[in-house]
Amino acid sequence: MLTKEFIGLVSNESGLSKKETEHLLTTMNAIVRENLMDGKAIQLQGLGAFEIKERKERVIVHPRTGERSVVPSKNQLVFRPVATIKDELNKI
Amino acid sequence: MAEKLSWTELRRALAKRAGVSEKTAGAFLNAVQAQLLEALKTDKQVKINGLGTFKVQAVAPRKSVNVTTGEEILIEGYNKLAFTPEAGVRELVESSKVESEESNVESSPAIDPIQKLGAQAEEIVDILGDLGQSPKEEPVAEPEPVVEEPKPVIEEPAPEPEPVFIPEPTPVVEPEPEIIVQRPKEEKKKSHFWRDTLICVIILLLLLAGGYFFLRQELSDIIRSFMAPAETEEVIVGEPVLMVEEPAVVEEPAAEEPAAESAPAAESAETAKIPKGKIPQEQILAEFLAASGETVTGTAEYPNLITVEAMHEGSRLTWMSKRFYGKKVYWPYLYDANRDVIDNPNNIDTGTPLRVPKLTKAQMDTTSTAFLQLKQEAEAACKR
Repeated sequence: MLTKEFIGLVSNESGLSKKETEHLLTTMNAIVRENLMDGKAIQLQGLGAFEIKERKERVIVHPRTGERSVVPSKNQLVFRPVATIKDELNKI
Repeated sequence: MAEKLSWTELRRALAKRAGVSEKTAGAFLNAVQAQLLEALKTDKQVKINGLGTFKVQAVAPRKSVNVTTGEEILIEGYNKLAFTPEAGVRELVESSKVESEESNVESSPAIDPIQKLGAQAEEIVDILGDLGQSPKEEPVAEPEPVVEEPKPVIEEPAPEPEPVFIPEPTPVVEPEPEIIVQRPKEEKKKSHFWRDTLICVIILLLLLAGGYFFLRQELSDIIRSFMAPAETEEVIVGEPVLMVEEPAVVEEPAAEEPAAESAPAAESAETAKIPKGKIPQEQILAEFLAASGETVTGTAEYPNLITVEAMHEGSRLTWMSKRFYGKKVYWPYLYDANRDVIDNPNNIDTGTPLRVPKLTKAQMDTTSTAFLQLKQEAEAACKR
């Protein structure tokens, strides 16, 4: 499902206009991004949490040359679903 | 992740930013939550621009073993919710080096790479020891500056430590085993290259030699045909004339059977029919007869001759046919006209004088029964 369809569904549910819904969604995304940049996790009720996880640097070996190099550490955006969602999805 | 933006905080921030009441924002967020779940159930995948894609992934059931009893158990399959961040968001997050985070986490990963690199250095020293070298001084000296560095590193911003100590051990210790490994590879490649080129050149030379050997005769034939273009033209031009001059067309099918007799009959026929031939032919014929000292003339079946030619080395009836008639298929006529001298068409003595008869239009027809029969006879002769 694409964003447009999703906006339609949400506006139906909330009674807001599509334009408003779109505006709110983009704002929400912006807030989520900014908070992630600030190192904060974001909890979405009933869905899960967006978190930043650090991947530690690790040593890799080039299979042909045997050269060793270090992959620098980096941050990764992870989504951790809440426990209830698993049961919900298994009902499908 | 100490801090977490809670649901209420998000609602408040959203209301403030979007300029709507908290109630509206709450309604929106609730709708998002409910609809996201619904959409996932129906579509299994929801894309939200500016964030990423939520996807329901099925995990297949798998077998496992109960650790305590050793029993085999089946872990049932289930659906899980996966989230893939948008490329832009992912890069944003990757590039974000959060200070508060990093400084906390710093202490542990800062030690890890040093330990790993230390272990690496030891391994490499072992390898070098095996190779009969003794660069022990280097790695011994190495760890000291490496260990010293992290102290300022902790106070410094995060990205610095990596570039500081990663490049150091690698260039010092690693290049040596590398060089040892790479040299034989290059030599091998070089020798392969020369061997391959040599083989290519030899094959090319063989092909050229073979091509020359086989083409030599054909080339000489072609050159000859160019030297005497008038004769070949005559075949085509002369045909209608032939038909008027002589009843060859009528004779042809009838004369097929007594073909074997044509040799003895030839002598009687030749005297009558030679005069009818054209002057250049007669000249050539006369020259040839004078040269070879033999009597070769037209036969009853093929009264008119284009020429008489001595079989030259390496030539074939098919090539001669191609040269005189333009097609290889007419070679049986060459055989038929020279039955007296040809035993096996594939094995004709060099220098054998061969009659090259003019062909009538009817004879040119390769589908006629007469021709097919003649062809069969000629092919049978090849097997003698």
